[in-house]
Amino acid sequence: MNEITEQVTEFLTLALRRPVAPDDDYFALGLADSLFALELVTFVEERYAVTVEVEDLDLDSFRTAARIARFVRAKQGHPAGLGAGDDASA
Amino acid sequence: MAELPSILGLPEEERAVCGQLGIETVGVDDADATTLAERAARRALAEAGISAEELGALLVVEQRAPRTLLSSEATLLQARLGATHALTFTVGGLGCVSVTPALLTARGLLAADPELGPVLVAHGSKPVSEHRYRHPVTVNGDGGQALLLGRRGNLTIVDQVQETDGRYWDLFHVDYRGRHPSRWREECTDQPAYSFRLAVETRNRLRALLDRLLRRNGLTRADVSGFVSQNLSAGGLTFTEEALDLTLLPECRENLRALGHLGPNDVFLNLASALEAGRLTDGDHAVLINVSPVAAWSLLLVRTGPGRDGHRPSPQNHQETTA
Repeated sequence: MNEITEQVTEFLTLALRRPVAPDDDYFALGLADSLFALELVTFVEERYAVTVEVEDLDLDSFRTAARIARFVRAKQGHPAGLGAGDDASA
Repeated sequence: MAELPSILGLPEEERAVCGQLGIETVGVDDADATTLAERAARRALAEAGISAEELGALLVVEQRAPRTLLSSEATLLQARLGATHALTFTVGGLGCVSVTPALLTARGLLAADPELGPVLVAHGSKPVSEHRYRHPVTVNGDGGQALLLGRRGNLTIVDQVQETDGRYWDLFHVDYRGRHPSRWREECTDQPAYSFRLAVETRNRLRALLDRLLRRNGLTRADVSGFVSQNLSAGGLTFTEEALDLTLLPECRENLRALGHLGPNDVFLNLASALEAGRLTDGDHAVLINVSPVAAWSLLLVRTGPGRDGHRPSPQNHQETTA
């Protein structure tokens, strides 16, 4: 698990008040509401100095911690959003 | 509210969410939506000392459901009021935000025709069926509202901005064809889209709209004495506050608690309550924030006190709600 995935997993575990694994789909688990979405996107923007635009709002990019990490790396300009420890098949 | 049969009959999970909305009571009235609008309209006209025959236009903000198809609730209201000379039609299609295009239309009519009499904007808020709960959003109450707009008054609509995103046109709906009315429910067709994509898009849209509205009027946030929003839930009000980094006037939460969601009537109800509570004084600016999952977003900039510009519509608000 790379550093971003680890940090996002930690944020999700705190925000959702339950253990969240890197590949847990918390939307499918019914854990996400609009206030949580706001907190999540604000966390991503402030922690990683990226801006989430309307055209970035593909739910598939935010379903799991691992996918958020790839989204962040892609926004930061890394090829295909991959970073050390990322699993391209996830 | 918890005693309503339609709330008692909810599945446990939905009842739990409903119980956390911050709504304790809702208005329930036997009258239909047009009657609710009519009562408010009569009081608005009486308080302004204007007869219905003097109205230049009657704009009805679209009801959630007409009692029959093909017929016109707008001209029914015209007939009941005796607004014989009023140009009459319905404005809608944007849920709670529909009040904004109605005001835009009123402004256009008043600007286009210097001889036009006052314009009455009216809406009766009533849910489509006995099921008042819209999971996981709000509980609908009953209430009527009328805004009387003229070229001078004690409140001026300074400016308004509005955007829509048609990708959400069917995010909430009532599937009614072939269903008994007892099964008509306001349903979310894609809850993750509502809770995530629309939520974040709403944050981005409202931030940009607020910046644009203030900038083009030469104002900053420090120049705005009060913000009000529509009353969906306590979480919804917190969402707006966090998304825009502002504090809503307390009347939003008070009206939410006592009356539930009144559709397009919420923002002016909250503004009227804030004015009654003395939170705004003459010359103050306020911003009214409205969001609909259709999806539509609108912000209205208003200024309290006698108007300075004779061409800007100045509404007198009257709300009728039975709690």
